[in-house]
Amino acid sequence: MDKLVPDNILCTKSHEYILVNNNEAKIGITDFAVDQLGDVVFVELPDVGATFNKGESFGTIESVKAASEIYMPAGGKIAEINEVLAAQPELVNEDCYEKGWLIKITDFDQSELDDAMAYDEYKEYLESKEEEEE
Amino acid sequence: MDNLKRTPLYQEHVKSGAKMVPFAGWEMPLQYGSIIDEHLTVRNKVGLFDVSHMGEIFISGRESLEFLQKIVPQDISKLFPGKAVYCQLTNKSAGIIDDLIIYRLQEETEFPSYLLIVNASRIEEDYNWIEFNKKDGSYDVEIDNQSANNCLLSVQGPFSSELIRDLGLDINNQPAKFTIKQAYMNSINVFISRTGYTGEDGFEILVKNEDAVILWNRILDKGQKYEIKPIGLAARDTLRLESAMLLYGQDMDDKTTPPEASLSWSVPPGKEEDYFGKERILSQLDGKNMSRVLIGFRMLGNAIPRHNYEIYKDNERVGTVTSGGIAPALKVNIGLGYINTSIPASIGTKLDIKIRDRFFPAEIVKRPFYVRSMRK
Repeated sequence: MDKLVPDNILCTKSHEYILVNNNEAKIGITDFAVDQLGDVVFVELPDVGATFNKGESFGTIESVKAASEIYMPAGGKIAEINEVLAAQPELVNEDCYEKGWLIKITDFDQSELDDAMAYDEYKEYLESKEEEEE
Repeated sequence: MDNLKRTPLYQEHVKSGAKMVPFAGWEMPLQYGSIIDEHLTVRNKVGLFDVSHMGEIFISGRESLEFLQKIVPQDISKLFPGKAVYCQLTNKSAGIIDDLIIYRLQEETEFPSYLLIVNASRIEEDYNWIEFNKKDGSYDVEIDNQSANNCLLSVQGPFSSELIRDLGLDINNQPAKFTIKQAYMNSINVFISRTGYTGEDGFEILVKNEDAVILWNRILDKGQKYEIKPIGLAARDTLRLESAMLLYGQDMDDKTTPPEASLSWSVPPGKEEDYFGKERILSQLDGKNMSRVLIGFRMLGNAIPRHNYEIYKDNERVGTVTSGGIAPALKVNIGLGYINTSIPASIGTKLDIKIRDRFFPAEIVKRPFYVRSMRK
Protein backbone atom coordinates (compact mmCIF):
# COMPACT_ATOMS: atom_id res chain seq x y z
CA MET A 1 0.00 0.00 0.00
CA ASP A 2 2.72 2.44 1.03
CA LYS A 3 4.33 2.51 -2.38
CA LEU A 4 1.13 3.90 -3.89
CA VAL A 5 1.13 6.85 -1.53
CA PRO A 6 2.35 9.90 -3.43
CA ASP A 7 5.31 11.83 -2.06
CA ASN A 8 4.62 15.13 -0.37
CA ILE A 9 1.07 14.47 0.77
CA LEU A 10 0.04 15.97 4.08
CA CYS A 11 -2.52 14.26 6.29
CA THR A 12 -4.97 15.48 8.93
CA LYS A 13 -6.08 13.89 12.18
CA SER A 14 -9.51 13.48 10.60
CA HIS A 15 -7.85 11.36 7.84
CA GLU A 16 -7.99 13.63 4.82
CA TYR A 17 -4.91 14.13 2.69
CA ILE A 18 -3.89 17.19 0.70
CA LEU A 19 -1.39 17.30 -2.13
CA VAL A 20 -0.25 20.80 -2.99
CA ASN A 21 0.84 21.52 -6.56
CA ASN A 22 1.71 25.22 -6.90
CA ASN A 23 -1.53 27.19 -6.68
CA GLU A 24 -3.81 24.16 -6.65
CA ALA A 25 -4.22 21.38 -4.10
CA LYS A 26 -5.87 17.97 -4.41
CA ILE A 27 -7.82 16.60 -1.45
CA GLY A 28 -8.99 13.08 -0.68
CA ILE A 29 -9.13 10.60 2.17
CA THR A 30 -6.21 8.44 3.32
CA ASP A 31 -5.81 4.72 2.78
CA PHE A 32 -6.34 4.29 6.52
CA ALA A 33 -9.71 6.07 6.28
CA VAL A 34 -10.67 3.91 3.31
CA ASP A 35 -9.78 0.80 5.28
CA GLN A 36 -11.91 1.92 8.21
CA LEU A 37 -14.91 2.81 6.04
CA GLY A 38 -15.07 -0.30 3.89
CA ASP A 39 -17.14 -0.16 0.69
CA VAL A 40 -17.80 3.46 -0.26
CA VAL A 41 -21.28 3.63 -1.81
CA PHE A 42 -22.01 7.35 -2.09
CA VAL A 43 -19.97 10.54 -2.22
CA GLU A 44 -21.53 13.98 -1.87
CA LEU A 45 -19.30 16.85 -2.98
CA PRO A 46 -19.79 20.64 -2.99
CA ASP A 47 -20.41 22.91 -5.98
CA VAL A 48 -17.44 24.27 -7.88
CA GLY A 49 -16.80 27.87 -6.79
CA ALA A 50 -17.96 27.36 -3.21
CA THR A 51 -15.55 28.41 -0.47
CA PHE A 52 -14.92 26.73 2.87
CA ASN A 53 -12.85 27.45 5.93
CA LYS A 54 -10.23 25.15 7.35
CA GLY A 55 -11.91 22.39 9.36
CA GLU A 56 -15.29 22.98 7.77
CA SER A 57 -17.20 20.00 6.34
CA PHE A 58 -17.24 20.11 2.52
CA GLY A 59 -19.02 16.85 1.83
CA THR A 60 -20.02 13.38 2.92
CA ILE A 61 -18.72 9.91 2.23
CA GLU A 62 -21.12 7.06 2.84
CA SER A 63 -20.11 3.47 3.41
CA VAL A 64 -22.58 0.61 3.71
CA LYS A 65 -22.76 1.18 7.44
CA ALA A 66 -22.67 4.96 7.92
CA ALA A 67 -22.32 8.50 6.60
CA SER A 68 -19.10 10.38 7.47
CA GLU A 69 -18.32 14.07 7.02
CA ILE A 70 -15.14 15.16 5.25
CA TYR A 71 -13.29 18.28 6.38
CA MET A 72 -11.12 20.91 4.71
CA PRO A 73 -7.40 20.54 5.61
CA ALA A 74 -7.12 24.24 4.69
CA GLY A 75 -9.59 26.95 3.75
CA GLY A 76 -10.04 27.56 0.03
CA LYS A 77 -12.19 27.71 -3.05
CA ILE A 78 -13.46 24.59 -4.84
CA ALA A 79 -11.82 24.58 -8.28
CA GLU A 80 -12.86 21.11 -9.40
CA ILE A 81 -14.69 18.07 -8.05
CA ASN A 82 -14.18 14.45 -9.06
CA GLU A 83 -17.41 14.00 -11.00
CA VAL A 84 -16.70 10.36 -11.83
CA LEU A 85 -17.39 9.44 -8.20
CA ALA A 86 -21.13 10.07 -8.63
CA ALA A 87 -21.35 6.95 -10.78
CA GLN A 88 -18.32 5.09 -9.38
CA PRO A 89 -17.92 5.81 -5.67
CA GLU A 90 -15.92 2.57 -5.37
CA LEU A 91 -12.93 4.39 -6.95
CA VAL A 92 -12.32 5.82 -3.48
CA ASN A 93 -11.73 2.26 -2.25
CA GLU A 94 -9.71 1.17 -5.23
CA ASP A 95 -7.42 4.15 -5.60
CA CYS A 96 -7.90 6.88 -3.02
CA TYR A 97 -4.77 8.84 -4.04
CA GLU A 98 -5.27 8.87 -7.82
CA LYS A 99 -8.64 8.04 -9.41
CA GLY A 100 -10.47 8.36 -6.09
CA TRP A 101 -9.53 11.96 -5.27
CA LEU A 102 -12.40 14.18 -4.07
CA ILE A 103 -11.82 17.88 -4.76
CA LYS A 104 -9.23 20.37 -5.98
CA ILE A 105 -8.98 23.76 -4.30
CA THR A 106 -7.35 27.11 -5.01
CA ASP A 107 -7.01 30.29 -2.95
CA PHE A 108 -5.63 28.52 0.09
CA ASP A 109 -3.06 29.71 2.55
CA GLN A 110 -0.09 27.37 2.84
CA SER A 111 0.41 28.36 6.48
CA GLU A 112 -2.91 26.71 7.35
CA LEU A 113 -1.22 23.38 6.63
CA ASP A 114 1.40 23.82 9.35
CA ASP A 115 -0.34 21.33 11.62
CA ALA A 116 -0.89 18.74 8.86
CA MET A 117 1.39 15.69 9.06
CA ALA A 118 3.71 14.14 6.50
CA TYR A 119 2.69 10.55 5.73
CA ASP A 120 5.37 9.01 7.98
CA GLU A 121 4.36 11.26 10.81
CA TYR A 122 0.70 10.37 10.18
CA LYS A 123 1.54 6.65 10.39
CA GLU A 124 3.21 7.26 13.75
CA TYR A 125 0.16 9.19 14.88
CA LEU A 126 -2.10 6.24 13.94
CA GLU A 127 0.13 3.82 15.82
CA SER A 128 0.17 5.95 18.95
CA LYS A 129 -3.62 6.23 18.78
CA GLU A 130 -3.90 2.48 18.51
CA GLU A 131 -1.72 2.04 21.59
CA GLU A 132 -3.90 4.47 23.51
CA GLU A 133 -6.96 2.38 22.73
CA GLU A 134 -5.38 -0.83 23.98
CA MET B 1 -14.28 -4.52 25.00
CA ASP B 2 -14.53 -5.51 28.65
CA ASN B 3 -17.28 -7.86 29.80
CA LEU B 4 -18.25 -8.80 26.27
CA LYS B 5 -19.11 -12.43 25.71
CA ARG B 6 -17.42 -14.42 22.97
CA THR B 7 -18.92 -17.33 21.10
CA PRO B 8 -16.86 -20.54 20.89
CA LEU B 9 -16.12 -19.49 17.28
CA TYR B 10 -14.32 -16.27 18.26
CA GLN B 11 -10.86 -17.55 17.29
CA GLU B 12 -12.13 -18.79 13.93
CA HIS B 13 -13.43 -15.30 13.14
CA VAL B 14 -10.16 -13.67 14.13
CA LYS B 15 -8.25 -16.18 11.99
CA SER B 16 -10.47 -15.29 9.04
CA GLY B 17 -9.61 -11.61 9.47
CA ALA B 18 -12.95 -10.47 10.90
CA LYS B 19 -13.44 -7.01 12.29
CA MET B 20 -14.94 -7.78 15.72
CA VAL B 21 -17.43 -5.36 17.25
CA PRO B 22 -19.67 -5.24 20.32
CA PHE B 23 -23.25 -6.31 19.60
CA ALA B 24 -25.93 -6.98 22.23
CA GLY B 25 -23.28 -7.79 24.84
CA TRP B 26 -21.26 -10.01 22.52
CA GLU B 27 -18.09 -9.52 20.54
CA MET B 28 -19.24 -10.50 17.06
CA PRO B 29 -17.81 -10.41 13.51
CA LEU B 30 -19.04 -7.29 11.68
CA GLN B 31 -17.37 -8.18 8.39
CA TYR B 32 -14.52 -10.33 7.12
CA GLY B 33 -13.92 -8.27 3.97
CA SER B 34 -16.22 -6.25 1.75
CA ILE B 35 -19.79 -6.09 3.06
CA ILE B 36 -21.21 -5.84 -0.47
CA ASP B 37 -19.21 -8.87 -1.52
CA GLU B 38 -20.50 -10.83 1.48
CA HIS B 39 -24.05 -9.75 0.69
CA LEU B 40 -23.79 -10.90 -2.93
CA THR B 41 -22.16 -14.18 -1.87
CA VAL B 42 -25.33 -15.02 0.05
CA ARG B 43 -27.53 -13.89 -2.84
CA ASN B 44 -25.62 -15.84 -5.49
CA LYS B 45 -23.65 -18.62 -3.77
CA VAL B 46 -23.70 -19.59 -0.10
CA GLY B 47 -22.58 -17.94 3.13
CA LEU B 48 -21.99 -19.08 6.71
CA PHE B 49 -22.99 -16.95 9.72
CA ASP B 50 -22.21 -17.35 13.40
CA VAL B 51 -25.39 -16.23 15.14
CA SER B 52 -24.63 -17.95 18.42
CA HIS B 53 -25.49 -14.79 20.33
CA MET B 54 -29.16 -15.55 19.70
CA GLY B 55 -31.13 -17.23 22.45
CA GLU B 56 -32.70 -20.67 22.68
CA ILE B 57 -35.48 -21.32 25.16
CA PHE B 58 -37.08 -24.78 25.33
CA ILE B 59 -40.64 -25.12 26.60
CA SER B 60 -42.14 -28.50 27.42
CA GLY B 61 -44.63 -30.09 29.76
CA ARG B 62 -48.34 -30.84 29.99
CA GLU B 63 -49.57 -27.27 29.33
CA SER B 64 -46.90 -26.04 26.92
CA LEU B 65 -49.38 -25.40 24.10
CA GLU B 66 -51.87 -23.57 26.36
CA PHE B 67 -49.01 -21.50 27.74
CA LEU B 68 -47.65 -20.47 24.33
CA GLN B 69 -51.17 -19.62 23.13
CA LYS B 70 -51.33 -17.13 26.02
CA ILE B 71 -48.03 -15.35 25.29
CA VAL B 72 -48.06 -14.97 21.48
CA PRO B 73 -50.76 -13.79 19.02
CA GLN B 74 -49.89 -16.60 16.58
CA ASP B 75 -51.95 -19.80 16.64
CA ILE B 76 -49.46 -22.37 17.92
CA SER B 77 -52.09 -25.16 17.82
CA LYS B 78 -51.62 -25.22 14.03
CA LEU B 79 -48.03 -26.43 14.31
CA PHE B 80 -47.52 -30.09 13.44
CA PRO B 81 -44.41 -31.77 14.89
CA GLY B 82 -41.35 -30.20 13.27
CA LYS B 83 -43.18 -27.07 12.04
CA ALA B 84 -41.98 -23.53 12.76
CA VAL B 85 -43.73 -20.17 12.75
CA TYR B 86 -42.70 -16.50 13.02
CA CYS B 87 -44.40 -14.63 15.87
CA GLN B 88 -44.07 -12.02 18.58
CA LEU B 89 -44.15 -12.05 22.36
CA THR B 90 -46.60 -9.29 23.30
CA ASN B 91 -47.22 -7.44 26.55
CA LYS B 92 -50.60 -6.51 28.05
CA SER B 93 -50.84 -3.35 25.95
CA ALA B 94 -50.00 -5.31 22.77
CA GLY B 95 -46.43 -3.96 22.56
CA ILE B 96 -43.84 -6.30 21.07
CA ILE B 97 -41.45 -7.63 23.74
CA ASP B 98 -39.54 -9.56 21.10
CA ASP B 99 -40.00 -11.25 17.76
CA LEU B 100 -39.07 -14.89 17.49
CA ILE B 101 -39.52 -18.20 15.75
CA ILE B 102 -41.30 -20.98 17.59
CA TYR B 103 -40.45 -24.52 16.48
CA ARG B 104 -42.54 -27.50 17.54
CA LEU B 105 -40.01 -30.27 18.00
CA GLN B 106 -40.52 -33.60 16.29
CA GLU B 107 -39.14 -35.68 19.08
CA GLU B 108 -41.75 -35.48 21.75
CA THR B 109 -42.84 -37.65 24.60
CA GLU B 110 -46.36 -37.41 25.98
CA PHE B 111 -46.82 -33.67 25.27
CA PRO B 112 -45.63 -31.34 22.55
CA SER B 113 -42.41 -29.47 23.23
CA TYR B 114 -41.16 -26.30 21.63
CA LEU B 115 -38.00 -24.35 20.89
CA LEU B 116 -38.07 -20.55 20.88
CA ILE B 117 -35.24 -18.77 19.04
CA VAL B 118 -35.10 -15.19 20.30
CA ASN B 119 -33.01 -12.05 19.79
CA ALA B 120 -29.71 -11.81 21.67
CA SER B 121 -30.59 -8.41 23.10
CA ARG B 122 -33.86 -9.75 24.52
CA ILE B 123 -32.94 -13.13 26.04
CA GLU B 124 -33.14 -11.94 29.62
CA GLU B 125 -36.26 -9.84 29.09
CA ASP B 126 -38.02 -12.72 27.29
CA TYR B 127 -36.99 -15.32 29.83
CA ASN B 128 -38.12 -13.20 32.78
CA TRP B 129 -41.46 -12.47 31.10
CA ILE B 130 -42.00 -16.14 30.28
CA GLU B 131 -41.06 -17.26 33.81
CA PHE B 132 -43.27 -14.59 35.35
CA ASN B 133 -46.29 -15.67 33.33
CA LYS B 134 -45.70 -19.32 34.00
CA LYS B 135 -45.93 -18.62 37.74
CA ASP B 136 -48.66 -16.01 37.39
CA GLY B 137 -50.92 -18.40 35.49
CA SER B 138 -49.73 -21.54 37.35
CA TYR B 139 -48.93 -23.28 34.07
CA ASP B 140 -47.62 -26.82 34.21
CA VAL B 141 -44.62 -26.23 31.92
CA GLU B 142 -40.87 -26.50 32.05
CA ILE B 143 -38.83 -23.60 30.80
CA ASP B 144 -35.22 -24.25 29.94
CA ASN B 145 -33.03 -21.37 28.79
CA GLN B 146 -30.25 -23.11 26.86
CA SER B 147 -28.84 -19.94 25.27
CA ALA B 148 -25.42 -20.24 26.87
CA ASN B 149 -24.88 -23.88 25.89
CA ASN B 150 -25.49 -23.79 22.16
CA CYS B 151 -24.11 -22.26 19.03
CA LEU B 152 -26.30 -21.34 16.09
CA LEU B 153 -24.74 -21.53 12.63
CA SER B 154 -26.66 -20.26 9.65
CA VAL B 155 -26.01 -21.50 6.11
CA GLN B 156 -27.77 -19.24 3.61
CA GLY B 157 -27.85 -18.92 -0.15
CA PRO B 158 -28.92 -20.75 -3.32
CA PHE B 159 -26.32 -23.51 -2.82
CA SER B 160 -27.30 -24.22 0.80
CA SER B 161 -29.15 -27.41 0.04
CA GLU B 162 -26.31 -28.89 -2.02
CA LEU B 163 -23.84 -28.01 0.70
CA ILE B 164 -25.97 -29.58 3.44
CA ARG B 165 -26.20 -32.69 1.25
CA ASP B 166 -22.41 -32.79 0.99
CA LEU B 167 -22.28 -32.58 4.78
CA GLY B 168 -24.20 -35.84 5.05
CA LEU B 169 -27.87 -34.92 4.91
CA ASP B 170 -29.51 -36.12 1.68
CA ILE B 171 -31.92 -33.78 -0.07
CA ASN B 172 -34.74 -36.14 0.98
CA ASN B 173 -33.67 -36.00 4.60
CA GLN B 174 -33.38 -32.22 4.75
CA PRO B 175 -36.04 -30.32 6.64
CA ALA B 176 -38.69 -28.71 4.40
CA LYS B 177 -39.22 -24.94 4.42
CA PHE B 178 -39.99 -23.65 7.92
CA THR B 179 -39.51 -27.01 9.63
CA ILE B 180 -36.93 -28.39 12.03
CA LYS B 181 -35.51 -31.84 12.71
CA GLN B 182 -32.88 -33.49 14.79
CA ALA B 183 -30.08 -34.96 12.70
CA TYR B 184 -26.48 -36.11 12.65
CA MET B 185 -24.08 -34.15 10.49
CA ASN B 186 -20.84 -36.14 10.31
CA SER B 187 -21.80 -37.74 13.64
CA ILE B 188 -22.45 -34.37 15.30
CA ASN B 189 -25.91 -34.22 16.86
CA VAL B 190 -27.75 -31.05 15.76
CA PHE B 191 -31.15 -29.48 15.34
CA ILE B 192 -31.39 -28.28 11.75
CA SER B 193 -34.14 -26.02 10.44
CA ARG B 194 -34.95 -24.53 7.04
CA THR B 195 -35.16 -20.93 8.22
CA GLY B 196 -33.08 -17.76 8.10
CA TYR B 197 -32.93 -13.98 8.08
CA THR B 198 -31.71 -13.32 4.55
CA GLY B 199 -34.58 -14.01 2.14
CA GLU B 200 -32.65 -16.91 0.63
CA ASP B 201 -33.07 -20.64 0.94
CA GLY B 202 -31.05 -21.70 3.94
CA PHE B 203 -30.60 -23.64 7.13
CA GLU B 204 -29.99 -22.81 10.76
CA ILE B 205 -28.06 -25.39 12.74
CA LEU B 206 -28.20 -25.56 16.51
CA VAL B 207 -25.15 -27.34 17.84
CA LYS B 208 -23.64 -27.87 21.29
CA ASN B 209 -20.84 -25.41 22.10
CA GLU B 210 -18.22 -28.16 22.17
CA ASP B 211 -19.03 -29.27 18.60
CA ALA B 212 -19.29 -25.79 17.08
CA VAL B 213 -15.70 -25.21 15.91
CA ILE B 214 -15.42 -28.55 14.14
CA LEU B 215 -18.79 -28.07 12.42
CA TRP B 216 -17.97 -24.47 11.42
CA ASN B 217 -14.72 -25.55 9.78
CA ARG B 218 -16.29 -28.57 8.13
CA ILE B 219 -18.98 -26.37 6.57
CA LEU B 220 -16.34 -23.95 5.27
CA ASP B 221 -14.27 -26.84 3.95
CA LYS B 222 -17.12 -28.60 2.14
CA GLY B 223 -18.44 -25.24 0.98
CA GLN B 224 -15.27 -24.33 -0.94
CA LYS B 225 -16.79 -26.06 -3.96
CA TYR B 226 -19.60 -23.48 -3.88
CA GLU B 227 -17.26 -20.56 -3.07
CA ILE B 228 -18.63 -20.23 0.45
CA LYS B 229 -17.58 -17.30 2.65
CA PRO B 230 -18.11 -16.49 6.30
CA ILE B 231 -20.56 -13.58 6.53
CA GLY B 232 -20.61 -10.88 9.22
CA LEU B 233 -23.39 -9.01 10.97
CA ALA B 234 -23.12 -6.02 8.60
CA ALA B 235 -24.17 -8.09 5.59
CA ARG B 236 -26.75 -9.87 7.74
CA ASP B 237 -28.28 -6.42 8.24
CA THR B 238 -28.27 -5.46 4.53
CA LEU B 239 -29.66 -8.89 3.61
CA ARG B 240 -32.52 -8.73 6.07
CA LEU B 241 -33.34 -5.14 5.05
CA GLU B 242 -33.42 -6.06 1.37
CA SER B 243 -35.90 -8.79 2.32
CA ALA B 244 -37.82 -6.23 4.43
CA MET B 245 -37.45 -8.25 7.61
CA LEU B 246 -37.72 -6.13 10.74
CA LEU B 247 -34.94 -5.71 13.28
CA TYR B 248 -36.05 -5.71 16.90
CA GLY B 249 -35.08 -2.56 18.82
CA GLN B 250 -34.81 -0.60 15.60
CA ASP B 251 -37.95 -1.26 13.50
CA MET B 252 -40.11 -2.20 16.49
CA ASP B 253 -40.05 -2.15 20.26
CA ASP B 254 -42.35 -2.71 23.24
CA LYS B 255 -44.33 0.43 22.34
CA THR B 256 -45.13 -0.95 18.88
CA THR B 257 -47.99 -3.38 18.19
CA PRO B 258 -47.80 -6.11 15.52
CA PRO B 259 -50.34 -4.35 13.22
CA GLU B 260 -48.42 -1.06 13.51
CA ALA B 261 -45.27 -2.95 12.50
CA SER B 262 -47.21 -4.32 9.48
CA LEU B 263 -47.01 -7.80 10.98
CA SER B 264 -50.75 -8.53 10.87
CA TRP B 265 -50.00 -11.40 8.49
CA SER B 266 -48.59 -13.21 11.53
CA VAL B 267 -51.73 -12.65 13.63
CA PRO B 268 -54.55 -15.11 12.79
CA PRO B 269 -57.83 -13.21 13.42
CA GLY B 270 -59.76 -16.36 14.27
CA LYS B 271 -57.61 -17.61 17.14
CA GLU B 272 -59.97 -18.45 20.00
CA GLU B 273 -57.63 -18.38 22.97
CA ASP B 274 -56.98 -15.16 24.83
CA TYR B 275 -53.47 -13.71 24.63
CA PHE B 276 -51.74 -10.56 25.86
CA GLY B 277 -52.90 -7.48 23.98
CA LYS B 278 -55.52 -9.41 22.00
CA GLU B 279 -58.27 -6.81 22.16
CA ARG B 280 -56.03 -4.00 20.95
CA ILE B 281 -54.39 -6.10 18.25
CA LEU B 282 -57.74 -7.27 16.85
CA SER B 283 -59.05 -3.70 16.84
CA GLN B 284 -56.09 -2.72 14.64
CA LEU B 285 -56.10 -5.63 12.19
CA ASP B 286 -58.07 -3.71 9.56
CA GLY B 287 -55.70 -0.75 9.85
CA LYS B 288 -57.94 1.22 12.21
CA ASN B 289 -57.19 2.55 15.70
CA MET B 290 -53.56 3.26 15.11
CA SER B 291 -51.68 6.46 14.44
CA ARG B 292 -48.67 5.09 12.57
CA VAL B 293 -47.79 2.15 10.39
CA LEU B 294 -44.60 0.63 9.01
CA ILE B 295 -43.95 1.04 5.29
CA GLY B 296 -41.13 0.21 2.88
CA PHE B 297 -39.82 2.83 0.48
CA ARG B 298 -37.19 3.28 -2.18
CA MET B 299 -35.25 6.41 -2.98
CA LEU B 300 -35.80 7.90 -6.44
CA GLY B 301 -32.18 9.13 -6.58
CA ASN B 302 -28.90 7.92 -5.15
CA ALA B 303 -29.10 9.46 -1.65
CA ILE B 304 -29.03 6.93 1.18
CA PRO B 305 -31.70 6.91 3.90
CA ARG B 306 -30.58 5.96 7.42
CA HIS B 307 -32.04 5.15 10.84
CA ASN B 308 -33.79 8.16 12.43
CA TYR B 309 -33.93 10.34 9.31
CA GLU B 310 -37.20 12.27 9.04
CA ILE B 311 -39.95 11.50 6.52
CA TYR B 312 -41.97 14.33 4.96
CA LYS B 313 -44.92 14.67 2.64
CA ASP B 314 -45.83 18.03 1.08
CA ASN B 315 -43.40 19.80 3.44
CA GLU B 316 -44.97 18.29 6.51
CA ARG B 317 -43.24 15.85 8.84
CA VAL B 318 -45.13 12.55 8.61
CA GLY B 319 -42.76 9.96 9.98
CA THR B 320 -39.33 8.52 10.72
CA VAL B 321 -36.99 6.09 8.98
CA THR B 322 -36.19 3.10 11.21
CA SER B 323 -33.85 1.18 8.88
CA GLY B 324 -32.23 2.37 5.68
CA GLY B 325 -29.37 1.69 3.38
CA ILE B 326 -28.30 0.30 0.08
CA ALA B 327 -29.84 -2.78 -1.51
CA PRO B 328 -26.77 -4.35 -3.14
CA ALA B 329 -28.71 -6.95 -5.14
CA LEU B 330 -31.19 -4.36 -6.45
CA LYS B 331 -28.86 -1.38 -6.88
CA VAL B 332 -31.32 1.03 -5.27
CA ASN B 333 -31.45 2.61 -1.83
CA ILE B 334 -34.26 1.46 0.42
CA GLY B 335 -35.71 1.92 3.85
CA LEU B 336 -38.31 0.94 6.38
CA GLY B 337 -40.07 3.52 8.49
CA TYR B 338 -43.25 4.60 10.18
CA ILE B 339 -45.65 7.15 8.71
CA ASN B 340 -48.77 8.71 10.17
CA THR B 341 -51.94 6.88 9.17
CA SER B 342 -53.36 10.26 8.11
CA ILE B 343 -51.51 9.87 4.81
CA PRO B 344 -51.98 6.92 2.45
CA ALA B 345 -49.60 4.01 3.00
CA SER B 346 -50.39 2.69 -0.46
CA ILE B 347 -47.77 1.65 -3.00
CA GLY B 348 -46.66 4.59 -5.14
CA THR B 349 -47.25 7.25 -2.48
CA LYS B 350 -44.52 9.89 -2.85
CA LEU B 351 -42.51 10.89 0.22
CA ASP B 352 -39.48 13.05 0.92
CA ILE B 353 -36.62 11.93 3.14
CA LYS B 354 -34.66 14.64 4.92
CA ILE B 355 -30.95 13.94 4.54
CA ARG B 356 -28.46 16.48 5.91
CA ASP B 357 -31.08 19.26 5.79
CA ARG B 358 -32.12 18.60 2.21
CA PHE B 359 -35.12 16.72 0.87
CA PHE B 360 -34.80 13.71 -1.40
CA PRO B 361 -37.77 12.06 -3.13
CA ALA B 362 -38.83 8.51 -2.31
CA GLU B 363 -41.86 6.35 -2.94
CA ILE B 364 -43.62 3.63 -1.02
CA VAL B 365 -43.00 0.23 -2.62
CA LYS B 366 -44.07 -3.35 -2.07
CA ARG B 367 -42.27 -5.40 0.57
CA PRO B 368 -40.11 -7.45 0.43
CA PHE B 369 -37.90 -5.29 -1.75
CA TYR B 370 -36.04 -8.40 -2.91
CA VAL B 371 -37.45 -11.84 -3.66
CA ARG B 372 -35.43 -14.84 -4.80
CA SER B 373 -36.94 -14.85 -8.28
CA MET B 374 -35.17 -11.53 -8.98
CA ARG B 375 -31.83 -13.31 -9.01
CA LYS B 376 -30.06 -12.88 -12.31
